[in-house]
Amino acid sequence: MNLSLCSKAGLAATILTLSSLLLPLSGTAAEGDFSAGAMVWSENCGRCHNIRDPLDLRDDDWKTAIFHMRLRAGLTGQEARDVLAFLVASNKPARKSIIAAKASTSSGSGKLDGQAIYNKTCIACHGGNGKGLLPGVPDFTDPKGRLSQNDEVLIKHITEGFQTPGSPMAMPAKGGNADLMAGDVRAVLAYIRKQFGN
Amino acid sequence: MKHPGRLTRHALAVAMALALPMTASADVGYNELKKTVQQLQKQLQQVQQILKQQEAKVKEFEENTVTRAEAKALEGEINAASEWKDPNLIFHIAGYADVGYVDGGNGGNNKDGSFRVGGFAPIIHAQYKDLILLQTELEFQLNDDGSTKVGLGYMNINWFANDYVALGAGKFLSPIGQFRQNLHPSWINKLPSAPPGFGHDGAAPIYEVGLQARGGFPIGSLRSNYAVYVGNGPTLKMELEDGAFGLDGIDAEGIGADADGEKVWGGRFGILPVAGLEIGISAATGKATATLNETTGSTLSNQQARDYDVLGFDGVWKYRSLMLRGEYIESEVGRATTGSTASAGAKWETWYTQASYLVPSTKFEGVLRYTDYDSPHKSKDQQQWTLGLNYLFASNVIGKLAYESNDGMNGKPSDDDRWLFQMAYGF
Ligand code: HEC
Ligand code: HEC
Repeated sequence: MNLSLCSKAGLAATILTLSSLLLPLSGTAAEGDFSAGAMVWSENCGRCHNIRDPLDLRDDDWKTAIFHMRLRAGLTGQEARDVLAFLVASNKPARKSIIAAKASTSSGSGKLDGQAIYNKTCIACHGGNGKGLLPGVPDFTDPKGRLSQNDEVLIKHITEGFQTPGSPMAMPAKGGNADLMAGDVRAVLAYIRKQFGN
Repeated sequence: MKHPGRLTRHALAVAMALALPMTASADVGYNELKKTVQQLQKQLQQVQQILKQQEAKVKEFEENTVTRAEAKALEGEINAASEWKDPNLIFHIAGYADVGYVDGGNGGNNKDGSFRVGGFAPIIHAQYKDLILLQTELEFQLNDDGSTKVGLGYMNINWFANDYVALGAGKFLSPIGQFRQNLHPSWINKLPSAPPGFGHDGAAPIYEVGLQARGGFPIGSLRSNYAVYVGNGPTLKMELEDGAFGLDGIDAEGIGADADGEKVWGGRFGILPVAGLEIGISAATGKATATLNETTGSTLSNQQARDYDVLGFDGVWKYRSLMLRGEYIESEVGRATTGSTASAGAKWETWYTQASYLVPSTKFEGVLRYTDYDSPHKSKDQQQWTLGLNYLFASNVIGKLAYESNDGMNGKPSDDDRWLFQMAYGF
């Protein structure tokens, strides 16, 4: 063994150890956050390869894929948990269930009002001003934009999710919030029209 | 089932009838009473009818209602069914494959073109909780003679020590630069070929065997990421020309045994000033030793360990549908003054820039790349323009058609232009 080997291996080992020790341990980890995850996703997941459709994988496969990507992309543990929370909420395929059909015939039905839903679920991508925060997200305030379509189309696209061919980002079904009932979707669309439509 | 409510109501009706006040005139009193009783009878019938309907409804309700006990049992079933979803140990198979057609190249040998099986690279992940990720990639390739080559791509075990550090050991993709670690899989690379110098024994290292720490951390509001490693480093290939040895190439494909015992250490640091823009710098340093006489195919031993240094810069900028990339890598090997292969050092250098544009609202993408590769061997020097047109069947399924205009030494493969078609699928 010679000295230069020792010093180099030693230096590398020191860097590895110090970097591990200086930083807080994962015991304090916070849960993944959907809105933060939408942001992490849109800001990172299209940099090396085309952005993948959340529907590509089921929950457990997303988990390993995200740990894989955490290594590749140098995400922090929190970013990985956030993006995972976003993906497992956004990968539920649209399904016409009897319960949903019933809910749509009852008036109102939504537990929340449109504004509350928008601020909780939609704002991460569509932004407070409705102009869209991320690439691929449409501008609701554009008079010739998406809101010029009729309610039927928009409700279908919100409920089932939607991606324009070639678009860098998909609209996840119900914005990734599976709890939204048909009444909630109508309420949030009414809010969007009132707030951003012209 | 006898309904208690019905009895009560019968009794009530009778009591009411009896309690009706008598009138002075018996006839009038009788008729009134009769009328009242008839009315009451009618009402009673109605009440009975309603009760019947209600009973049917109650029955239907009971039939369609789940009892607490039943719900409990169902809950048990759901829990049992979800156990496959959240076990401690999760297996996942990913990977990619590509097939295609190549016309030209190979020093004019396959001018008429050949169908190609580019490769099949399954990746197996075995993850234990949020703690450990084993990732291994196998590489299957179809040789020109029809035989199959199987190799171990990468195989490493990673421990997620905390939110900012993952420590890994094994064989891993070299963290130098971007192309090798992040862009080479065919569904990711926007062209069917690797830029010259980023392929095998070029300027960019491919794999490393050793220890690695990776992760990311915020610097203020900026994202940053890093990789630091220590590994066996590459070995060197020598060629014999006119009785004298010279450096032929660097074998940086993940060497399983360190010929000189001297480690190479290095890494990369990347920073994202804004989302979509990443700038990286990479470096490695250490020693490498000649182990192969490429001319005779015989192994070499007891050669002097030479200096080995790598430097790299990379950048990527994504703005809506436009993506710009660039990368520079140089690998330098020092001289050896003792040993049978004592000779001068050499330098391999390559860089490329690439622009790609996904035409909005379509599935078509255009790509243009320029590469300039400088090798110590003039016959391998190459300047290349590549123009490609892609069709995105999906974000992970891509059809690519490309034309390579190559400028190298006359008569060498590096000078042949090529048409390439590739169908790439990442899964
Ligand atoms: C630094 C580059 C980079 C970034 C950023 C990145 N990926 Fe990847 N991704 C890769 C590479 C490289 C592969 C292929 C892995 C291989 O073949 O070894 C891959 C593969 C995948 C796969 C295929 C399954 C698998 O595990 O291999 C999915 C899904 C995926 N990435 C999703 C994402 C998501 C979601 C994000 C955002 C958090 C992301 N990627 C960000 C480089 C990146
Ligand atoms: C993860 C980001 C994200 C979230 C969260 C999100 N959207 Fe979207 N939304 C998009 C994108 C991207 C598009 C454009 C999709 C396309 O055209 O490819 C879109 C499109 C739409 C459209 C236009 C659809 C059309 O037919 O053109 C409406 C309406 C809409 N979103 C409503 C909502 C509502 C309501 C919510 C909350 C319940 C929501 N979005 C949450 C990303 C998001």
